[in-house]
Amino acid sequence: MAERTGVFICRCGPNIGNSIDVNAVMQEVGRMEEVEFVTDHNLLCSQEGKAFVTEQIKKNNLDRVVIAACTPKQYEQLFMNACRDAGINPFLMQMTNIREQCAWVTADRQEATEKALGFIKAAVSRVKLHESMEKKAIDASPDVLVVGGGVAGLESVLTLAQKGRKVYLVEKTPFIGGVGALLEDVYQTMECAPCMLAPELQEVLQKDNVEVYTHSELEDVVGSYGNFTVKIRKKARYVDIEACIGCNACFDPCPVDVPNLYDQGLSNRKAIYLPFMGALPNVPVIDSEHCMQLYGEECRLCEQACAFGAIRFDDHDEIVEKKVGAIVLATGADLMDPRSIPQYGYGRYENIYSAMELERLYASNGPTGGNIIMKNGKKPESVAFIYCVGRKEKGYCSGICCMYSVKLARHVQEKLPEARVYSLYDDLCLPKKESQVVYKKVKEEGIEFIRAGQSSTVTQAGDKLKVSYDSPIGRKEIIVDMVVLAPAMVPSGDILKLSELFDIPLDVYGFFEQEHLLMKPFGTPLEGVYIAGTCQGPKDIGDSVAQGGAAAGRILSRLVPGEKLELETKVANINEEICSGCRICIGMCPFSAISRDIEKSISVVDETLCRGCGTCSAACPTGAAIARHYTCEQILKEIEGVVQ
Amino acid sequence: MSNYKTKVVGFLCNWCSYEGADRAGAAKLKYPGNLRTIRVMCSGRVEPQFILKAFREGASGVLILGCHPGDCHYKSGNYKAVRRIELLRNMLAQLGIEPERIRLDWVAASEGEKFARVANEMVETIEKLGPLQIKFE
Repeated sequence: MAERTGVFICRCGPNIGNSIDVNAVMQEVGRMEEVEFVTDHNLLCSQEGKAFVTEQIKKNNLDRVVIAACTPKQYEQLFMNACRDAGINPFLMQMTNIREQCAWVTADRQEATEKALGFIKAAVSRVKLHESMEKKAIDASPDVLVVGGGVAGLESVLTLAQKGRKVYLVEKTPFIGGVGALLEDVYQTMECAPCMLAPELQEVLQKDNVEVYTHSELEDVVGSYGNFTVKIRKKARYVDIEACIGCNACFDPCPVDVPNLYDQGLSNRKAIYLPFMGALPNVPVIDSEHCMQLYGEECRLCEQACAFGAIRFDDHDEIVEKKVGAIVLATGADLMDPRSIPQYGYGRYENIYSAMELERLYASNGPTGGNIIMKNGKKPESVAFIYCVGRKEKGYCSGICCMYSVKLARHVQEKLPEARVYSLYDDLCLPKKESQVVYKKVKEEGIEFIRAGQSSTVTQAGDKLKVSYDSPIGRKEIIVDMVVLAPAMVPSGDILKLSELFDIPLDVYGFFEQEHLLMKPFGTPLEGVYIAGTCQGPKDIGDSVAQGGAAAGRILSRLVPGEKLELETKVANINEEICSGCRICIGMCPFSAISRDIEKSISVVDETLCRGCGTCSAACPTGAAIARHYTCEQILKEIEGVVQ
Repeated sequence: MSNYKTKVVGFLCNWCSYEGADRAGAAKLKYPGNLRTIRVMCSGRVEPQFILKAFREGASGVLILGCHPGDCHYKSGNYKAVRRIELLRNMLAQLGIEPERIRLDWVAASEGEKFARVANEMVETIEKLGPLQIKFE
C-alpha cells in the first residue's frame, strides 16, 4: 500500500506567512505524487493547532506526516505526540524548519519560497522511508557499586543509601575515609578532619543497605548500563571483622617492625596493624608479606594476645560477585613524587619533606603525636615551603597546594612560634570563599611570602638547607632547617588498570576523561559509569564531595527501582546479512557500544550503550551499520529534495 | 537575475551547528536562500557518498558544520569528519573538483553570527567558482 503523506505548513502568524508565499508552496506540494493532503495553519504549536494535526491525520487516514514550521528543537516532541494521539507512530513524522532556517534568514521572498519548497520536498521524500520505532526499555538493577571510600565515594554512597538504594562500597585500603582521614584539619575552616568525617564514616558503616568491602579491589566487570556484573576481590584480612572489638591488644606482642606507609614511612608499624589510630572500621589487618606466621615461621603471638579469638590465619582471598545497574569510580589521586624534579633535593638531603609527610607529622594521630620534629629529633627553627612543585612539568595547576601549604605554614608557625616560616610561591591560587581571609591572617601572623616563580633550588649547607630563588634584584637565598614541598596531584597508580577494565579513556594528564568538562564532569563516555573526586582531576574536598553527590543524583534520577531503563531510540544496528566482520565500526564507536560476535564473525550493537551518532554507519564499507532514523537512504532522499 | 542558481548543501550536526543556524535565524541574520541545510546527529555521520550525491544532484558546493574540536557531543565525531572530508577533498581534487567546494567548519550553538558568516562566505565562494565542471556517469 502506498503511503499517505500529509503536509502541514505553519504560518507562525506573520513569521513564516509574511516571508514565504505559503499558497504557492501548497500548490506545488499538492502536486507531489506522494502527498495525499496539504494544508496550512496559522499556529500549529497552539493547543488548537496540535488538535488540528491529530484530527486531520485521522480524517484523511494519513500514515506519514510532514510538519513545516519552526525548528524541531522547539516542538518536535509536541508534533510527535500529536501523531501518537492520532494513532500513528511518532517516528513517521518529519519536521522541517522553514522558520529559523528559511523565513527568518532569507531576504528575498521568492528565494525563501523556493527554499521552503525544497525543504518540504526533502521531508516528504524522506518521511516515506521512515520506520516505526518504539522506545525500548530494559530491566535494570537499581543497585550501585562505588569504588573508592574517600570523601567523593562516601558522598555517593550516602546520597544513594539515604534513598534506600543498595550500595556496595569497595575500598582498596583497610579503612574508609581516604586521604581526608589522614589529615589533622582542613583548609579553609581549619576544622578537625576526623571530626568532620566521623559521622559520615559511621553512617556508611552502619547503614543496613550498604555493604562495605575494605581491603578489597575490583577484579572484573562485565555487562552494561543497568546490568553490570562485578567481581570484588575481598583480600584476606586475617582478622575476623565481626569478632574483633578493636582493643589493639594484638599490636604489642607482634615482633615485626616495618615502615608505616600511611604515616609516609615516618613511623613503624607491626605486621598486624591499624593504618592510624582512629581508622574505621576499627579492625586491624595482618600484612601477609611481613607476618612471620603467614610467612611460614611459627609465631601466633597476636593470636595468643587476642581475648576474642578474632585472628584467622586460615583466612583467604574471596571473590564476591554482585549485580549492579551503575558504577561510581571515586578512586582518588596521588601526590607526585618530588624526586622526579631534582632541583628541590628531595630524597637527596635530609629534612626535605613533602606536604603529606608534614600533614602526618603534625597530625595528632601521626608518628610524632603532632609534634613537628625532624629526623634528628630537633624542632626546626626555620621552615621554607615551596609551592607549585611539578606544576610546570605536569602542565596544570592542582588547585589545592596553595591552600594546604598556607594551612601547613600556619600550623608550623602556631606550633613553633619562634620559628621563621617562609612561603616561596609562584602564583597563589586561593579561590573560594574564605580562602583570602585565611591567607591575610597568615600573612599578618608573620609568615613571609616570597614570589619565587619556579626558580627555587635546595642544596645542603652544613647541617642546614640553602634555598635559592630568583628575585627582581637577582638571585637570593635563605638558610633553613626544614623544607616542605607542595607536589602536584597526579593520577593514582591503579587508574590505568581501571581504564582498561572499563574501557573508558584517560585524558592527556592520565586522569579519567569526563563526558564533558563543564556540563558532565561526573560522566564518562560509558553510560552507567560515573566518576567523582580526584580521579577526574585535581580538586579539593568540597568539589570532590559535590561531584560524588552529582554522580549519585544522576543515578537516582535515571536508574529508578521498578522502572525500566529507557534507551535511546535512534540507535545503530548491524545488518547481519551484509556485515563482513571487518571491525572498522568497533574502532569508530566512541562509546564502546559495538563488539564482535565471535561465533558469527560480525559486529553487534549494544543498544544500552549506543547513543546514535551514526559514525559507524558513515565508516561501514558494506552498509551493514545502519544509523536508525538517519539511514543513508533517508539522507540521500533528503539531499535530492533540498537540491531540487 | 540569471536562471542559474547555484545550490549549496549544508550538513549540520544536531547539537551545535544546527542550533547555531537556528540562532542565526532568531537573530534574523540574512544569507542566500540557496544554502539548503540538512540535520544529521553528528558531523561524524557525514559520509563521502552524501557529498558526492549532493554534487550529482546539482549542488555546486557542500558545507559540513560540526561542534568545535573538543566539544563534540559524541566525543570525537568531528575529528572523524576531518579525516573523511580531507581525504575526499584530496581525491576530488584529482578529478578536477576544487577543494573549496567542500568546506568543513565548526559552529557552536551560540554562534549564530558565525553561522551566517560561514554561510555567506560559502555561497560567495561557490558562486565565484560557478557550476561544477565534472560530469558523473
